[in-house]
Amino acid sequence: MPATPVLAAEDLSKRFVAINALDHVNFELAAGEVHALVGENGAGKSTLIKVFGGIHRPDAGRVLVDGAEVELHSPADAYAKGIALIGQELRVVPALSVAENVMLGHLPTRPLVPGIAASAALRLDRARMRAAAGAALAQLNLTVDLDQRVDRLTFAERQSVAIARALSRNARVLVLDEPTAALEEREVHSLFAVIEALKAAGVAILYVSHRLDEIVAIADRCTVMRDGRVAADLARGAFSAAELARHMTGRDIEREHAHGAAAPGETLLEADLGGEVRLRAHEVVGLAGLLGSGTSELLRRLFGAAGGARLRVRGRALDTRHPAESIAAGIGMVPNERILGLVLDQTVRDNIVLPNLGRFGTWWRMDDAAAGRVVRELLVALDVRPPDPDAVVRRLSGGNQQKVILAKWLAARIEVLLLDEPTQGIDVAAKAQIHRLMREFAGRGGAVLFASSELDEVLGQSDAVLAMRRQAISARVARGAGLTEHAVREAITFHR
Amino acid sequence: MRRDFLVGQIPLVTLIVLGVVIAILTPRFLSPLNLSNVLVQAAVITVIAIGMTFVIIGGGFDLSVGSIVALSGCVCAMVMMEAGIAAGVAAGVAVGALVGLANGLIVTVLKVNPFITTLGTMVLVRGVVFLLTGSQQVPIDQPLPQPFIDFGIERFLGIHYLVWLPVALLFALSWVLARTPYGRSVYATGGNREAAYLSGIRVDRVVASTYVWCGGLAGLAGVMLASRLQSGQPTAGEFYELTAIAAVVLGGASLYGGEGKLYKSVIGVFIMVILGNGLNLLNVDSYWQRVAIGAVIILAAAADRLRAHRA
Repeated sequence: MPATPVLAAEDLSKRFVAINALDHVNFELAAGEVHALVGENGAGKSTLIKVFGGIHRPDAGRVLVDGAEVELHSPADAYAKGIALIGQELRVVPALSVAENVMLGHLPTRPLVPGIAASAALRLDRARMRAAAGAALAQLNLTVDLDQRVDRLTFAERQSVAIARALSRNARVLVLDEPTAALEEREVHSLFAVIEALKAAGVAILYVSHRLDEIVAIADRCTVMRDGRVAADLARGAFSAAELARHMTGRDIEREHAHGAAAPGETLLEADLGGEVRLRAHEVVGLAGLLGSGTSELLRRLFGAAGGARLRVRGRALDTRHPAESIAAGIGMVPNERILGLVLDQTVRDNIVLPNLGRFGTWWRMDDAAAGRVVRELLVALDVRPPDPDAVVRRLSGGNQQKVILAKWLAARIEVLLLDEPTQGIDVAAKAQIHRLMREFAGRGGAVLFASSELDEVLGQSDAVLAMRRQAISARVARGAGLTEHAVREAITFHR
Repeated sequence: MRRDFLVGQIPLVTLIVLGVVIAILTPRFLSPLNLSNVLVQAAVITVIAIGMTFVIIGGGFDLSVGSIVALSGCVCAMVMMEAGIAAGVAAGVAVGALVGLANGLIVTVLKVNPFITTLGTMVLVRGVVFLLTGSQQVPIDQPLPQPFIDFGIERFLGIHYLVWLPVALLFALSWVLARTPYGRSVYATGGNREAAYLSGIRVDRVVASTYVWCGGLAGLAGVMLASRLQSGQPTAGEFYELTAIAAVVLGGASLYGGEGKLYKSVIGVFIMVILGNGLNLLNVDSYWQRVAIGAVIILAAAADRLRAHRA
């Protein structure tokens, strides 16, 4: 008989307004196991982990810890049961030190007045705090100054601090939600090493990710969710990335790759920003670089959103100092975080119209009917669900939100589309659609420059690749002229 | 969708319930004289609250409007005695718009927090008013031109001109906010400043412009008040900023920006004015009135938070 799972869900259901977020879900997580949870946006993954984390309460069904039913009313309850949720937004306090952050919530104290135990709440025991925090961090192979403020750390380090806090409170279940979304490749490897060590120590890990190749590499077991239900529960060896994708979408997705489309046309945009940037019509250019290599900054400068930049647009000089000027010259940008691209509490229509205020109607009257027609067409063309111009953007899934951002620029008269990590954190199907839209945009005579930290994506989607290293362009390679994984990897890696 | 709509009507329902309760408690409330008083009182605050709604939708805050009311009333009266009615009115509105522009530039160019900026200009402008007038009313010995005084007294279709003015403003500026590209950019800027910027909106100009609206409209309110008081009063408009902000919040605008409607702010104004009026008619001690009004403001804000939570 197998050991009792440390965490389990039995027949769990949860409804939001009109959606079955969880529909009779059964799930088991064993000690010392890395159990991956995958699914498209809106499939129910987040709802499930939020139930485990005490954030949502199920409408029906039971949550079991060590085989006994528990009621998790709050994150504190979940913590008390040994379940720790490490989200994409790390709950660290920027102004506190590393040690304080690790021990937050159970800071050790000692009596303010010696001998009077009741005065203990008044005085922090710094020595014990540092010792305990140091021990927790040592398990993660992280060597940082314990007294350093957390806002000085990199994302990966802050993530380790959050994990260390969970360990210091004896968490037995670690829920990692998209832990590698903001990590560099090197940091991903060290995270995986940490996961292996925790696994050996008997910690159960629930690993939520969109990156299927990572899951194949690290998971012992994988549960695939679709439309609030468990679509598959597979043991290691029984799943490949393609197999998982098929279960997620319920159909086969061919891995689409850009093949030498039409020959590049005239040059639409030129700039010299620490290396030459030249974008031509009909061309998709990938911008490869590790986190911090300056890809975001380059895109923002081309868009006029980071100080001034001297550009040549269709041969005409343009000194852009504001996005409004770049947009007027036919340049649009999809920023690297969706929160930067959308006014979440406004409708889909308002968001799509925003960069196009001058286009629909006159200065004294918006032509809402004309805008509505364009918006509705775009929503159907981009397969946004629901295709409702009056839906509030906040209620859409991540993939749909990203499509709305794209629609903003497709509604505008732009020729150059800059995209910063356009497929970060969205599901496989939406990702494929975004790739298709990029290629269609180029196919209609536009120029695309997209930054991605996923080498696979850059290699698969680009006609040419610009590589960045230490804030400068280190190489430009074209398909058919030396574009190989090795060449790009060499160009983005920093050699001492 | 339907629930959202119902929740959005809470201010209106509150206003109606308040009106009915006060009318039952004191029949004098519905007397023509009292109702006309309520309307005139609400008129001045409404003009200020409309401007405040612009600022709050744009994600800002303006404490200086009360002082602007006094400044514009006094400047209006001074200029009017020298150069005539039109010049006086124009000067009153312009001086308000100028203070608003100063607020807007300090907030956007120097990037000072709006609360602190307008707290500063509130105190500063009030000081300027006293310096300018020697803390005397303007004019001291002779009356303001008769047509200007008549404007504060006379009626059209039985309703004061002073009341028609905000009605017209409400329609015109509701159009500006809801139907023009500029109005959309105000909502977008308040809703998510960075996203608006990356969509090509000149967010600094938009934010500054909301303060100009607010200052200019407070200037206009100062002129209206001068017409009603038949003089410029250096102490006029005290606490108007608080009443106006409370009215806008009662009307459901979000202090985080990006949300709000002019007509709802006007409903908020009437809640404030009728509450004060009713307590007066009921002979409630004026200190207790303050306690009651303060409590209402907190209740409204708390209800707003609750609503945001559920959505």
